[in-house]
Amino acid sequence: EVNKSGLRGRGGAGFPTGMKWEFTRRAPGEEKFVICNADEGEPGTFKDRLILEGDPHKLIEGMEIAGYAIGSQKGYIYIRGEYDLSIRRMQKAIDQARQSNLLGKNILETGFSFDLEIKKGAGAYVCGEETALIESLEGKRGNPRLKPPYPVTHGLWQKPTLVNNVETLANVPEILFHGSDWFRKFGTEKCPGTKVFTILGHVETPGLIEVEMGTPLREIVFSFGGGVRGGKRFKAALLGGAAGVFLSEALLDVRMDFESLKENKAVLGSGAVLVMNEDASIPDMLLSILKFFAHESCGQCTPCRVGTHQLLDLADQCRQGRGSEVQLERMVNVSKAMVATSLCPLGQSLIMPVKSAVDNFRGDFLNHGNPAGKTPG
Amino acid sequence: MEKVNITINGRKISATAGSTILRAAQQAGIDIPTLCNHPALTPIGVCRICLVEVKGMPALQPSCTSLVIEGMEVQTETPPLVEARKFILDMLFSERNHFCMYCEMSGNCELQNLGYRYGLDHWVYPTYTRRFPIDATHRHLLLEHNRCVLCRRCIRSCSDLTANHTLDLRERGIESMVQADTNVPFGDSSCISCGGCSQVCPTGAIFDKRSAYMGPDKKLEQVQSTCSQCSLGCGMKVFTRADSVVRVEGDWDAAVNGGRLCKKGRFDPLDEERRRVTRPLLRRRGGLEPATWEEALQAVAERMGVARAQDIGVLASSRLTNEALYQLKELFRQGMKVTNVGLLNGAAPKALGKPQGALADIQKSDLILVVGADPVKDQPVASFLVKGSVDRGARLIVVDGKENGLSAFAHQRLEMADLDKAQDMAQRATNPVVLYGPGVPEKAAQSLKKLSPKAAFVALEPGVNTRAAAAFGFDNGFKVPAAKVLYLLLGEQHSGGEDLLKGAPKDAFLVVQASYESPLTLRADAVLPAAIWSEQAGTLTNTEGRLLKINRVLEPRGEAKPDLEIISLLGKKLGKKLAASLDDISARAAQELK
Repeated sequence: EVNKSGLRGRGGAGFPTGMKWEFTRRAPGEEKFVICNADEGEPGTFKDRLILEGDPHKLIEGMEIAGYAIGSQKGYIYIRGEYDLSIRRMQKAIDQARQSNLLGKNILETGFSFDLEIKKGAGAYVCGEETALIESLEGKRGNPRLKPPYPVTHGLWQKPTLVNNVETLANVPEILFHGSDWFRKFGTEKCPGTKVFTILGHVETPGLIEVEMGTPLREIVFSFGGGVRGGKRFKAALLGGAAGVFLSEALLDVRMDFESLKENKAVLGSGAVLVMNEDASIPDMLLSILKFFAHESCGQCTPCRVGTHQLLDLADQCRQGRGSEVQLERMVNVSKAMVATSLCPLGQSLIMPVKSAVDNFRGDFLNHGNPAGKTPG
Repeated sequence: MEKVNITINGRKISATAGSTILRAAQQAGIDIPTLCNHPALTPIGVCRICLVEVKGMPALQPSCTSLVIEGMEVQTETPPLVEARKFILDMLFSERNHFCMYCEMSGNCELQNLGYRYGLDHWVYPTYTRRFPIDATHRHLLLEHNRCVLCRRCIRSCSDLTANHTLDLRERGIESMVQADTNVPFGDSSCISCGGCSQVCPTGAIFDKRSAYMGPDKKLEQVQSTCSQCSLGCGMKVFTRADSVVRVEGDWDAAVNGGRLCKKGRFDPLDEERRRVTRPLLRRRGGLEPATWEEALQAVAERMGVARAQDIGVLASSRLTNEALYQLKELFRQGMKVTNVGLLNGAAPKALGKPQGALADIQKSDLILVVGADPVKDQPVASFLVKGSVDRGARLIVVDGKENGLSAFAHQRLEMADLDKAQDMAQRATNPVVLYGPGVPEKAAQSLKKLSPKAAFVALEPGVNTRAAAAFGFDNGFKVPAAKVLYLLLGEQHSGGEDLLKGAPKDAFLVVQASYESPLTLRADAVLPAAIWSEQAGTLTNTEGRLLKINRVLEPRGEAKPDLEIISLLGKKLGKKLAASLDDISARAAQELK
């Protein structure tokens, strides 16, 4: 059913969920694990929090179904340490489920046993990456592992492990209950179902919305978001969080699904939509993003450990009014080199905010601090 | 062995299944640049220098960790790869302090070599913007964080090879740093000064303080030899310059130690504070005076010549080479019919007979029984192997006193009286290994024999060449009071001092053959200066029964002579016919030791 539904990962990568389950189910080994990635580290995203705090039992059900499907009896929910309320509510839900024999040994006399444990994160964005998350669960430094091998065959304690995002797993009970045909009624051919978007920034009504995959960005910003606050003009939207893409006005009509965005050189990511008005400074935003990455780089591999800091320095120079074509070219080149050589997706994702900012808002970088438009000598 | 067919740079290569692309390339003579990789350590693929292009895979693959797959087509030096490597090197060179001009590792640095290889000749990016500390608190090693490339070789050496787990990383991202324990000064840490980290460090981040300022490797001479500080006989490489030993490194290819060394073998020999005896001395008119070899040997031979066999006593240090011990036996036991011969240190119980196991058995074992021996103190490299096995899941049972260095790592520690409990556990294991030493009483040794042939038995002989000494009959129980002429061959050993001569007749003629001054040399009637470990050639029989070669590294200091030569010359003076050439003696000794 999950395969037929065409459900794709809602954490950012968009990998077909059914296929991942299949790989894990087929992986050799007696002991397997289900991990729910509730690290929600992507800046500007708080959609998983909605489910953890507001509908925790749906997640428990989703994980049990996953466990049943792949042949696992143990699951972990890795919640970012900062989500205090989520952790408490999730624990309460787990306790309740156990009490009602909906979790634990011999669930509802079916002979199927599955139990859940919450593990807290400790403040590292990189631990949202599945292999770094697993390392963290094993009590080690949150450093991503080399892939291959993938967690589906060698995950937690080198056993087959399924790692899914909160939202992905929360879709599962509904799919099983209503059927995959029902699920396919929403969204698009290649991206069925709904998506929870986080609207934030300079909008009238920021918050969380669940709409069909493929909803146009304009509708999200102006209909659901209430338009740009205070009647100001729309300048840009950062889609997908820090590892995201700056979209200009020109692309407001893009449809929000994995395929359409990819065609437009954008990315869905975790579904964060950060709206910026005419007064916003793109160089400042980019600097903020680069500061984030420099701080969060795990430091394992050279390109990301040093590259993030060199990018930070270059962006800072632009922000200080010393931007030039050479600096911009260098920023893009460094980001490209990081895509080619970084060990994990963190280093590989810098290209997105950097290139989209430079391509779509070139003038802002060259003229920053120089309203008259004079380039620095 | 299963083979896999791949293509590298257009060349068809038959690689061993299960090997990495890097290994396959190296075996085919193709040079892929690396930095964090080291043949003796687990590859981790973090420096990203060894990335290669694999047809069909969109992402570049780290060749040090990627396994060969049938039909793989690899390119190792395309223009995009060269650009990628230049980028990584630009990043590395700008990250910390890599001013080659001021670095004592210049000429010996893998990072520098890569810089030359890829034509780096200027800084592109802001450089050395973060200052890190220098930790000079360790006695032997300097930890210069500003030259670190975070390759983690030191950490892997400390955990994989030495199994001491002192080094690890702290902080994240650009602030990552190597730390000792929980960020304590290196000199105050749990470090046991094995020096493995300094041997694997590719740059000048961790280096040995003494040798660092003595010139690059290309200006040094290198001689392969065997360490003679304990009975393991670790393979080593000795670096010298201008007739001085500059540095000692573990030999990666040596079967005994696989590149590991301990403080005794790597640092102590260069830390020697005792004074060398450089000239023969004779006691004349109440005081010790310099003499020629001719005079000294004549005096000694005269006293020995007129004495009866039962009045002569010979006490040898286990540091003597196979050849020296053989010659000593030929001269005194055979030639002079002397029976009062002995060894300066005890031996492991004979009841357990000839060696059956090898040190390598420790690494394959699932249960290690250590009885009456403390390798942490006496044969450190053996303790590294034990701790490494425990890391991989082996059970460790120590049957010895509480002060045994392995107690802290053992699953169980028992007193000798409870040996049978330990034996039961060993009996139930799949590949048990018994490491035993001089602390095992003969009765317990008999009992231990019941574990054979299931268990591999590895003796941890005290001293150095104890096995050979025992084989040549030097452990028969030496009696000091019986001797009127005492011949003590101390070698480099720290002497037992006055205790050794308790009970000696007041008019006994004491001949001391030693390398260093000590209370014994001051008391002697004749002092014969002996060469030290680096100044003589020969062979040792290690605790496994393996024959290991010692090569001469330097000329003897002053007028010192190798023990073998002194014994041979003495033999000539005494009119005994003895074998003359080193090779001849080596062959005979080897034959008898079989």
